[in-house]
Amino acid sequence: MYAFDFHRPATLRQANSLVGKLGDAKILAGGQTLLPTMKQRLASPSAVIDLSGVPELAGIEQKGRNLVIGAMTSHAEVATSALVTAALPGLAALAGGIGDPHVRHKGTIGGSIANNDPAADYPAGLLALGATIVTNRRKMPAAEFFTGMFSTALDEGEIITKVIVPIGAKFAYAKFRNPASRYAMVGVAVGKKGSSVVVAVTGAGSDGVFRWTEAEAALGKRFNAKSLDGITNPAAKDLNSDIHASAEYRSHLIGVMARRAVTGATAK
Amino acid sequence: MRVNPVGTVEVLTGSHSHGQGHETTFAQLVAGRLGIPIENVAIVHGDTDKVQMGMGTYGSRSGAVGMSAIVKALDKIEAKAKKVASFVLEAAEADIDFKDGKFSVKGTDKSVDFASVALQAYVAHKFTGEQLEPGLKEGAFYDPTNFTFPSGVHIAEVEIDPDTGVTTIAKWTAVDDFGVIINPMIVEGQVHGGIAQGIGQALLEGAVYDANGQLLTASYMDYTMPRADDLPSFRVDHTTTPCPSNPLGIKGCGEAGAIAAPAAVMNAVTDALGHENIAMPATPQAVWLAARASFAKAAE
Repeated sequence: MYAFDFHRPATLRQANSLVGKLGDAKILAGGQTLLPTMKQRLASPSAVIDLSGVPELAGIEQKGRNLVIGAMTSHAEVATSALVTAALPGLAALAGGIGDPHVRHKGTIGGSIANNDPAADYPAGLLALGATIVTNRRKMPAAEFFTGMFSTALDEGEIITKVIVPIGAKFAYAKFRNPASRYAMVGVAVGKKGSSVVVAVTGAGSDGVFRWTEAEAALGKRFNAKSLDGITNPAAKDLNSDIHASAEYRSHLIGVMARRAVTGATAK
Repeated sequence: MRVNPVGTVEVLTGSHSHGQGHETTFAQLVAGRLGIPIENVAIVHGDTDKVQMGMGTYGSRSGAVGMSAIVKALDKIEAKAKKVASFVLEAAEADIDFKDGKFSVKGTDKSVDFASVALQAYVAHKFTGEQLEPGLKEGAFYDPTNFTFPSGVHIAEVEIDPDTGVTTIAKWTAVDDFGVIINPMIVEGQVHGGIAQGIGQALLEGAVYDANGQLLTASYMDYTMPRADDLPSFRVDHTTTPCPSNPLGIKGCGEAGAIAAPAAVMNAVTDALGHENIAMPATPQAVWLAARASFAKAAE
């Protein structure tokens, strides 16, 4: 590693002021992406601001009809939380399927969504659940937050503080893992709240997570996997293609995973 | 093979062990033959400063070839030790028996243990240098007179998810004939490893280059190594038909799993698909494409 300054603020206020003061500083959450990119010299910030000492960013609580998940909450905490398991078992399952045990114990929900990796699981899940992303400056619906591959609506110096997830939705996430890396090659999250259905797809889109609106319309009429029969899968021209899966195969898998997610969301 | 004056034995072997367990199997052979505890046997390998000549480990030959050389060296050690024992026990060499780590005089209760003979071999108090050269250290080289011919049957039962093309191995049953087996657990481990490697070849692994010759599968993010959850529990058994062409009756076992598994898996996959138009590795995408061809054929 090369030299850089390391800061570990103890409050959100301190973190804010550090971010404002230090020009090209990087915010460190769980470090599952930032540290490997720094090791490979793909990122070389002059300073790193570690948020692990900020208590306001930790923990999971239920507030009314919402789960409020602190940005620094690890995937393992979400996966095993009694609150999440009871209120949104599909979200606990999604978190429990991210990476491997090491990644799940270090990686955080805030870090994952700030990076918006096109193969990450949370972006699809939070879109389908109609979550709200809260920062030190504002609140944004997930639909506005994820703006494209590796890009979000976050401004310079903006810090994600928590994620608000409404409960009471029917929700499930089904993913097909890349056989080698085990990242989502295609992941589909389906959420139904009232008459509104969101189908969000990760891993497959050439510009990151996206919604499959034709499927949403069909499932809005009748929330059953059979409703997807006769719906054309997302067009291959907008999908990724690599040595593991052509765009055509990914397109097909979106249909398969969407059906499995719907079946999962309706299972008792 | 160096027998130390305290009765411990050091074996320098040209067969290299990088996970095949020679340190255990070779030591077991020496300890059993000389009637000494296995911890008294050290196997030295892979160090050209100590081992004069070695050609590594390959071709499933360390048991059949490497251990045959050890048997030849053991024959020489025993013959020399009997000479020493005949002086210690004051009996004719032809009357010396060696069994369970003890040299004894036929028809008497006179005996001496292996370690005492080893010490006497070096101190030479019971014989003169004219009668016998002191020391207990022998070497042997072995060139096989024939190949060994292990045989076996591996049965792969696979399930294909027609929606995704994912092939799951539901059950694996293997029976091999490796001739005489020195260490059943190590042999079974060799078979497990070979099957894993073979399943990797059949379903997962493939080096992919782009049109410019750039390797695309340059890391484990893209090169699919078989992992524990890609594999079933193996049901492995064996029959024993001793090999006639080496002193221990051993046949090679190291490659058996890797030889049988790709054929067994691909036979099962093509059986499920109903046609043979698929190449290794039968990745989910390849199987999905092949399965679509099967459905098209069935619809005709």
